[in-house]
Amino acid sequence: MSQIRHGLGLCSSPSLPVEMVVLRAGLCPGLTEDMIQLLRDNGIRTVVDFVSSDLEDVAQKCSLSYKALVAVRRVLLAQFSAFPANGADLYEELKSSTAILPTGSPSLDQLLDSGLYTGEVMELMGAPGTGKTQLEALQRVQVQRVFNIYEVLRALQELRDRLSQQVLSSVGPLKVVVLDSVSAVIYPLLGGRQSEGLALMMQLSRELKTLAREFSLAVVVTNQVTRDSSSGSLKPALGRSWSFVPSTRVLLESKEGPWERSSTQRAASLAKSPRQPTGIQVELDIGNGDMLEPSLVTPTEGL
Amino acid sequence: MRQVPLEILLQNAEVNTSWIKTQLRARLEGRSSLKNLEPCLFAEEGSPVHGDVIEFHGPEGTGKTEMLYHLLARCIIAKAQGGLEVEVMFVDTDYHFDMLRLVTVLENRLAQGTEEMIRQCLGRLFLVSCSSSTQLLLTLHSLENLFCAHPSLCVLILDSLSAFYWIDRSNGGESLTLQEMNLKKCANFLEKLVTQHHLILFATTQTLMQKSANSAEGFLPSKLPHETDTDYRPYLCKSWQQMVTHRMFFSKQCNSGNSKGFTVVSCHLKRNQIVKRSFSVAESGVQF
Repeated sequence: MSQIRHGLGLCSSPSLPVEMVVLRAGLCPGLTEDMIQLLRDNGIRTVVDFVSSDLEDVAQKCSLSYKALVAVRRVLLAQFSAFPANGADLYEELKSSTAILPTGSPSLDQLLDSGLYTGEVMELMGAPGTGKTQLEALQRVQVQRVFNIYEVLRALQELRDRLSQQVLSSVGPLKVVVLDSVSAVIYPLLGGRQSEGLALMMQLSRELKTLAREFSLAVVVTNQVTRDSSSGSLKPALGRSWSFVPSTRVLLESKEGPWERSSTQRAASLAKSPRQPTGIQVELDIGNGDMLEPSLVTPTEGL
Repeated sequence: MRQVPLEILLQNAEVNTSWIKTQLRARLEGRSSLKNLEPCLFAEEGSPVHGDVIEFHGPEGTGKTEMLYHLLARCIIAKAQGGLEVEVMFVDTDYHFDMLRLVTVLENRLAQGTEEMIRQCLGRLFLVSCSSSTQLLLTLHSLENLFCAHPSLCVLILDSLSAFYWIDRSNGGESLTLQEMNLKKCANFLEKLVTQHHLILFATTQTLMQKSANSAEGFLPSKLPHETDTDYRPYLCKSWQQMVTHRMFFSKQCNSGNSKGFTVVSCHLKRNQIVKRSFSVAESGVQF
């Protein structure tokens, strides 16, 4: 239990998660030790307590200056709340930072409306052996082996720190992050204490999406498939909560040719997309043409 | 009532809140109606009105987000181009908002979709991303000033309210009260914002759990007809459930091969009126 809590705490936003911020002197200008003591005596301990209180009421009960309290509240909000952006500004920023990365497979690019879009999480799902690992080996130069959710979360956090500090790598800027496979790291957590496993899964999804957005990366994850009990169609593993996470989802299936025992033919269909109608399908040959340089491909369990 | 210039109001905003509120209410009298926002979505005429809280509920891939872009486009497009020309605040809790998709919808709907026109529309949109339920609560508090300063900001969209559900549940340990505390505070504050600033709130909630076949439905009082038909299992806190005025259930039509068919069942909760509509999604967005 403590390991999971620690895991959650470790992987929130880079600064201390706001839930944990207790009011203390020096947290912001105007917040003195005396003020803190008076507030604490009246049940106000954290930033949230302070911001949610009726300051006219607090001023009266704690014999503090209303104006001073209001000033502190303004600074705390500026420090801990998210800042709204204007749509026009955001659009300008996205126009310059978004890139569409060709996958190296022309048919797959067609399915994805030109390629992998940065800022998004794309999911490749399929049964074992359908070629997910071969397909997503794009410009992967760094391979990091990780064996469980905590290592994944830690690796993502380190990646975020490196990117924030703009550590330049000798091979050029990082554009794609691949997690192969998300089901392998999450499955061991599900079942048993349900909500904690799901909480970790959602924490992971937040990390992946934040990475994609904040650093304009294309994030690709691979996942297993299960069969839907009512409709009989294939759906991504890891359940309903996970299904909302990726923006794009591609299903890989083997095309069984009766004349070949092990075919390299695959069918890729679009199961979810923010841009294209779902259901479109292309054929891929993971034997040649649609597979990338084998020297770069190393099947791994992690990033 | 004598109208005090906005700058003076804002300078004094924190000193005398009740006086400010009276001034603002006077300004809001002249606010434009949003009843033409999307008549197809509502079970009764004349909706939505300021103060409405509309919940979009449904599983993944059922068109909730597309419906939001549709409404967003309706709001931010200029009156001269057939829109409502109102400002919208969009709160994104899971980095789901797709600006490029919104721009495509706008381009398809504007007669001459020039870059300048798109920028003008987008200038009426405010976006904020929150990474936790606590940050959502604090952000809502900080947005209050924005609502004061922009009287034409009358639509608030929250996508989605259920994004922090599992994390909050885990953080709250064994206590349901602790688990729901943040969301309850958010719901209460949202209600305050909606009432005081005469907003219309659209919030999406995801179907995270399956409705169990043999749940204790017999013990639940007054089961509304829509709840038995749809895949709806209420799981968010009571404070939220009680403030919703309209609940809309989204689902995909099961025609084989029809990837564009969607259904929305729209319920006006107080009047118990229900209407079912179909829509498809094209490049220009939702089409009824």
